Amino acid sequence: MQAILIRGGRVIDPANNFDAVADVLVADGKIKLVGSAREGDYKTFKNATSGIEVFNAKGLWVLPGAIDLRAHLGEPGNESAETIAGGALAAIHGGVTTVACMPDTDPPIDTEAGVQYVLGQSKAADLAEILPVAALTKKREGKELAELGQLARAGAVAFSDEMRAIDSPSTLLKGMAYASMFGLAVIEFAQDPAMTSGAMNAGYEATLAGLPGIPAVAEELAVARACMFAREAGCHYHAAKVTTKNAVRAIKRARKLRVQVTAATCPHYFALTDSVVRKQYDTAFKVFPPLRGPDDVAWLKRGLREGIIECISSDHTAVPPELKELEFGRAPFGVVGLETLVPVTLTALVHSGELSPARAVSALTCNPAKVLGVHKRKGALTPGFDADLCLLDPDEEWSLDPSRLVSRCRNTPFAGMRLKGRVKFTIARGKLFDVGAPADD
Amino acid sequence: MAAPPVWRRKDLLSLEELSRDEIFTVLEQAAGFKEISTRSIKKAPTLRGKVVLTLFYEPSTRTRASFSLAAQRLSADVQELDLEASSAKKGETLVDTARNLRAMGVDVFVIRHQQAGAPALLARSVDACVVNAGDGTHEHPTQGLLDIFTMREKFGDLAGKKIALVGDITHSRVARSNIWGLLKLGAEIGVIGPKTLVPGALKELGVKIHYHLDEVLDHYDVFNILRIQLERQGAGLFPGMREYNLYYGIDERRLARMKPSVLIMHPGPINRGVEISHAVADGKNSVILEQVANGLAVRMAVLALVQSAREGK
Repeated sequence: MQAILIRGGRVIDPANNFDAVADVLVADGKIKLVGSAREGDYKTFKNATSGIEVFNAKGLWVLPGAIDLRAHLGEPGNESAETIAGGALAAIHGGVTTVACMPDTDPPIDTEAGVQYVLGQSKAADLAEILPVAALTKKREGKELAELGQLARAGAVAFSDEMRAIDSPSTLLKGMAYASMFGLAVIEFAQDPAMTSGAMNAGYEATLAGLPGIPAVAEELAVARACMFAREAGCHYHAAKVTTKNAVRAIKRARKLRVQVTAATCPHYFALTDSVVRKQYDTAFKVFPPLRGPDDVAWLKRGLREGIIECISSDHTAVPPELKELEFGRAPFGVVGLETLVPVTLTALVHSGELSPARAVSALTCNPAKVLGVHKRKGALTPGFDADLCLLDPDEEWSLDPSRLVSRCRNTPFAGMRLKGRVKFTIARGKLFDVGAPADD
Repeated sequence: MAAPPVWRRKDLLSLEELSRDEIFTVLEQAAGFKEISTRSIKKAPTLRGKVVLTLFYEPSTRTRASFSLAAQRLSADVQELDLEASSAKKGETLVDTARNLRAMGVDVFVIRHQQAGAPALLARSVDACVVNAGDGTHEHPTQGLLDIFTMREKFGDLAGKKIALVGDITHSRVARSNIWGLLKLGAEIGVIGPKTLVPGALKELGVKIHYHLDEVLDHYDVFNILRIQLERQGAGLFPGMREYNLYYGIDERRLARMKPSVLIMHPGPINRGVEISHAVADGKNSVILEQVANGLAVRMAVLALVQSAREGK
């Protein structure tokens, strides 16, 4: 395989505490060297390979490829909306090189065969690497535990009944205890199901829109409950979509009690508020949990700054246009996000001064790697790690045109948004993809 | 002084989106049409050759009849779509239904729908006019306008007038349209009802919130009483009709403690003996039937205005 020498970019690699203009050499699908390139350093290497492509990255940021902790990739069962290959391609266009896909498929990913199927489709696509999250209970019914040991052995990276809360406290507690033996995180639906039949965030905007509200306390309750169980079970609990002030505080309290809890939020939760809904009842803004008010958004940013929320995920959910072109209350929840994860994070958190570049990059790379337990091979530019990189122009300003997304569904909440920072090249396990459209818009 | 007529909207989706001048434009136009109702020949040629379709996804008697009669008085061809027997049951989407009907030449859609925002979806999907006849718990703009029209007939200028809405505010589209319209006209607004049926967020609009009707009986100039629905009891929002009536029912005893000039209003249909007693509903302070009569004039005005805006007149 050809080697690539990426020269002169600003290398931001928080896991190695590195932020400087430097060169990165990748070969055989792995990171080989990071540092200043003196010709001699590479000569020996050059002789040993079939060739070396020198890539000028001056003015670009060179980061580990982003790791998305949650995407819904449709396979099996919902291929008309999304596929593993389609999601893997969208990921590449967004600078995302690793994606954990959720098991709420049809049938659910609750068997070894299901896990192997996802890994096989990922390998066949050979784009971003897709890692399966497997169901915690059989058929995601919340009753009997799935064969967690076999799922782990087959390559599952976490367990979750995804979008279904486990009603029975004892089932959740046992599931967390059993899952903890395999060192994998349990991702529990962070909303109390009895209170979540609404369509948007409960409060001022929902009152005026006349739409049934989903109260913030439903999230606080579920997060606090799962933290208690994680403590009892000695399990790693990952709160996948934290969107409210009081859920952030619940996690902060649990951390003080040494509960092993990690947390993520998504770009739409910190870049948008619920005030966008009522203008047009545009179902592009219908997500679960719902977009929240300004106070919650301020707390999410604070949670990210303080490291209480340490990951940012896309929650990519493709919904075909015929299902989104419905009354707001009837349309399904979900937004696509693989292609906007990195640029919206840069725009809404880094350029706005909320997060340092290193902290934002951590939230997209090494922190999610730890949640999935892949931090020994991904999420950093350490020699020997997978050659997964994201090269972006941090200052390019552009508008998001949904028709230029490569996802087959374009249900983005960021249509027309001015963004600053654009992914130009993605390297996935040593393969270089040119994804930055020319700066003509 | 009369405000200059202002109307450029092909749709009427909410009172929130209307300016004070636009509200006055509708009210003035309605006053003109009300006069037509007193003639022996109650027809105007305004919508001759136009097709008005009432698209009701929810049962209604008076609102639908009121819109149909209003359109007929303006000489429009009126079609009522019975959705029990239509494609709604076969899974056709609202947008598809509307595009098909538009292709048959419908000029004005009057839509009632269980889902908030459905008229907005319709308005951006077809180039015809769309009039919201009630969408979920969002708004019922023509009801708000006819309530305001009725209040102004009695009081003139509503600036500084104190208007109360009593009952299930959370689930009331009538309440939201009243609040937006009256706020724009400078009225003081209070909402009265059990805490489980009154959204606290209304405070942010400057609306006063009361949980005990008896404390504010002599404060308000108008009590607009909303229908209480039995299904809210099932949802655990209040314990029962008897208790509701005890705390929020408007009867002669409470009426006697109100201002002598107080207006008693109700958008209908009435649960007699629950939110309002027989005697009060039919009493001298009640303008409930005037509301119904004014509804016709207001709806004629709205239909005429949206259609002329669409034609760029």
